[in-house]
Amino acid sequence: MTPLDVMWVGLGGGLGSLLRWLTGRVIGEHYHGDFPVGTFLINVSGAFAIGYLSVLFKVDWRDRYGTALNAGVLTGVLGGYTTFSSMQLDAVKLAGKRGGVPAASYLLLSVLVGQLAAALGGTLARAQG
Amino acid sequence: MVNIVILVFVGGALGAMLREFTMLMVPNLVDNFPLDILVANLVATFLLGLVTALHRRQVVSEDAEMLVGTGIAGGLSTFSSFAYGAIVLMSASTAGAVVASFYVVISLVLGYIAVIVGLRRTRLSMNRSSAGKRRSWKQPFAFDM
Repeated sequence: MTPLDVMWVGLGGGLGSLLRWLTGRVIGEHYHGDFPVGTFLINVSGAFAIGYLSVLFKVDWRDRYGTALNAGVLTGVLGGYTTFSSMQLDAVKLAGKRGGVPAASYLLLSVLVGQLAAALGGTLARAQG
Repeated sequence: MVNIVILVFVGGALGAMLREFTMLMVPNLVDNFPLDILVANLVATFLLGLVTALHRRQVVSEDAEMLVGTGIAGGLSTFSSFAYGAIVLMSASTAGAVVASFYVVISLVLGYIAVIVGLRRTRLSMNRSSAGKRRSWKQPFAFDM
């Protein structure tokens, strides 16, 4: 781990977080329901991207720094873009409005669809060879 | 607008670097359980609960909530590595599948608890400072959303 890695992670994390905030804003302007669609779509698309890029560039899931790709893009941009904390806060808010079942469903759906998206990304990258 | 862009960017950069340092400091477990990601996600969820409650109580400004909640907590936590790590672990072996399932369930349950602890933490400390408002102790789930 070098200072350059830290710089890539910081730069990517800042850009990814900005992208998350912007995406959330745009979705929030068009959707006004209770289901946290913004965070859901952000997380699912980020999971797809990490699966796709990891397989395409043969990056092991435990290698998170060392090159501009895994430090800047995978750890930085995608880590900053996707969020676990907002997902959980959304769930607590949803539980307050609609009850425990919708909140638990939202969390499980996020994880299942997110994993499916990551697997799909990996499959697509393998198919492209 | 420019202000928010800077706050989210700087916060997100700090959060992501904190996550990277967490990965270096938290040891890898023998069974490949991604303890580092779990720790980063739990710290971030607690932090987000805390700053959300402080903002609601108008203790901190909207800018502070942007920097810490959207920026730092959002950058520190990750869903992409969480979901991808789980499927890689899951598809590796039967033992891996067991570990991955445990990882997912424990992350979701502890993460949910961490938000609530963060939201309540401020309430408790505030109640201590302003005597006579103990009532909210008895309704920990009555968030004003």
